[in-house]
Amino acid sequence: MALHSAIKGKLISVIGDEDTCVGFLLGGVGEINKNRHPNFMVVDKNTAVSEIEDCFKRFLKRDDIDIILINQTYAELIRHVIDAHTSPVPAVLEIPSKDHPYDASKDSILRRARGMFNPEDLVR
Amino acid sequence: MTADNCKSDKNATGQLLDSLYLDMFHLIEEHTQCRLDIERTNASGAILLARTKFQQGGQSLSSAQIPTENSAEFNALCRVVDKTDDDKTDKVSIERHSVDKENGYVEPLHWFSVLPPMSLRTAVERFKKSIELVAESTNLQRELAKVLNGIDRLRRSLAL
Repeated sequence: MALHSAIKGKLISVIGDEDTCVGFLLGGVGEINKNRHPNFMVVDKNTAVSEIEDCFKRFLKRDDIDIILINQTYAELIRHVIDAHTSPVPAVLEIPSKDHPYDASKDSILRRARGMFNPEDLVR
Repeated sequence: MTADNCKSDKNATGQLLDSLYLDMFHLIEEHTQCRLDIERTNASGAILLARTKFQQGGQSLSSAQIPTENSAEFNALCRVVDKTDDDKTDKVSIERHSVDKENGYVEPLHWFSVLPPMSLRTAVERFKKSIELVAESTNLQRELAKVLNGIDRLRRSLAL
């Protein structure tokens, strides 16, 4: 079955807790391609950090994904991988979860922005 | 290059840097606001999901109903498409496909319930809104990254 031929646009992928995944899947972002690879991963308390990291790296390699959504709490676990990804595509968006509100001080792009204005430079 | 030329070049670079810093602050504000909007919309959707679970039972909405690698293939109903804005900048937006089971566009609501209650339908609307906000947030993040790259380059050139 060639359901995926000539489809316009790219996907949004999700790495998140059950509620985040269920919500965004209900919104219509979910897909399972012809290789049986889903564009989402439900993380629970039994999920190993290495599994999250592998899934994130897999999503980075896929050329049909334009945006990766990841709960900020899980992004914290693989911060080194997220910080190493500097390409604009796919965009990595750290989103809050039910249990952990959004913390701007942890967001990779905002941390980079904060590094741009070193107070010593402003004094000079 | 004379000393005067060099000084005016440095002044121009400094002014450009100031303008980029100003852009950066505006974008940080918009970016943070957009994330907070996503948080609010998702929280509102999550409350409606919880209400549905309360009405229909705890297992009515769980990851057990989500398709897995062993499920049949299907297409995403919403996709990210590039569009060029009025100010000639590339932005992304969300394009929705209508449900068409024969071509693999299935209704996600039906994974969870054949007759979805109103709370679940309203939750879906909240998450659809959240997906729109995700596209907006992506545009802001990419713009912010461009500005940060520009600042980085100018700072290096000033340091030379």
